[in-house]
Amino acid sequence: MEHIVGIGDMKVSNQVGDIIVAPSICSGIGLVVYDPEARVGGILHYILTDSSIDEIRAKNKPHMFADTGIPTLFKQAYLLGAEKTRIRIFVAGGAQIINQERRFNIGQSNYTALTQILTRENIAIWKQAVGGNFNRTAGIDITTGHISLKTSGKGEVEL
Amino acid sequence: MTNFQEMAKKIKTLTPIPAVTMSLLKVVEDPQKTMDDVTNIIQYDPAITADLLRIANSAYFRLKYPAETISEAAKMLGTDRLVELVLLKLASQIIKGPLGGYGMHEGALWQHSVSSAIIAKQLAVQLELSHPCSIFTAALLKDIGKTVMDKYVQNAYKTIYNLVTNENFSFMEAEKKIIGVNHAELGGMIAQLWNFSPKMVMIIKNHHLSREDMVKDKDTIVVYLADCICMMMGMGVGADGLAYKFDHQAIEKIGISADDILTIIANFTPRMEEVAKLLKMV
Repeated sequence: MEHIVGIGDMKVSNQVGDIIVAPSICSGIGLVVYDPEARVGGILHYILTDSSIDEIRAKNKPHMFADTGIPTLFKQAYLLGAEKTRIRIFVAGGAQIINQERRFNIGQSNYTALTQILTRENIAIWKQAVGGNFNRTAGIDITTGHISLKTSGKGEVEL
Repeated sequence: MTNFQEMAKKIKTLTPIPAVTMSLLKVVEDPQKTMDDVTNIIQYDPAITADLLRIANSAYFRLKYPAETISEAAKMLGTDRLVELVLLKLASQIIKGPLGGYGMHEGALWQHSVSSAIIAKQLAVQLELSHPCSIFTAALLKDIGKTVMDKYVQNAYKTIYNLVTNENFSFMEAEKKIIGVNHAELGGMIAQLWNFSPKMVMIIKNHHLSREDMVKDKDTIVVYLADCICMMMGMGVGADGLAYKFDHQAIEKIGISADDILTIIANFTPRMEEVAKLLKMV
């Protein structure tokens, strides 16, 4: 079954046959996790870094923000049997409009927020497709662990 | 015949925009408009009236009792909301289809246009601009040029994407270089042909702020910024991605900070499900 992850959304699965796809990742981050042994995988597509901008909203929509969404993704994956030492991380997104700089560069801020959290937790990124002016789609096949990436103007590749 | 000449000929054969739209556009730009001005225009178009009553009476709007006439719907929803629904209905007929050249599936441009229109209006209200309803309409129809350009972009796909990916061209610059016109200019031509107001033509034509003097016009900047926010969020974004130019100066000129943009995104994201329901209904 195919599960679509919208903007500010998350899906995690350990069901054979499931495919999780996050389309239209632009300045947000599509964070893909997969544990090949437990066959647990998921995608979070957050769009902002910091939930303190709206704490009430963060409670209802934790997947919108890096600081509330990333821990939720890992917790959910661990609940389904994934283990931190085996987990593989793929990152897509953090794109920007041409010349979008300083604090206006939301894509860069979103990526920095991720690397800070992962560094703190001592988790390494396996592969990434970050920055540029691209619209990306990331997918994970729960059965095989194959991660796919579609980039605007460049087509689709399997990683 | 050049691409440009061919397109100029083609836009003349487009289905004309319904008369009710033109009358409404004239009225919405008038700050003195009354509810009667609006309902008088709509009620003489039976197809629009029927559609509008169906939408107004749907569960989405949770009216206290069913509206049986356009006047009742206007009283319950408010004039601006009613006008917006009519414009959404009319625009959907033009921009709902897929655009292969721009890598947009069916409904993607529609989602982008409606989201831009909602954000642009919210910004216009926040900045206390005089014509929020016109800004909503301009944002809704700003990419009309893409519907005609699509075939040409598809034919020149490789060349255009090569310029964007490897030569640092913006998508608009690549369109202009390869096809001879960009989608905003073509949109402006269509708007002119349909007798939109000069202001509306100007906003559509310059919604990427490609002309430097446009940085002075607040209405155009608001439509531009709404477009940028939708690109950042990934709302109905195509294969052209975010390959457009960001203008810090223009955005700072209307008094919008980076934090304001984050707040707009935070407020709009939870509304996307609501927007999706509205899109299906219209």
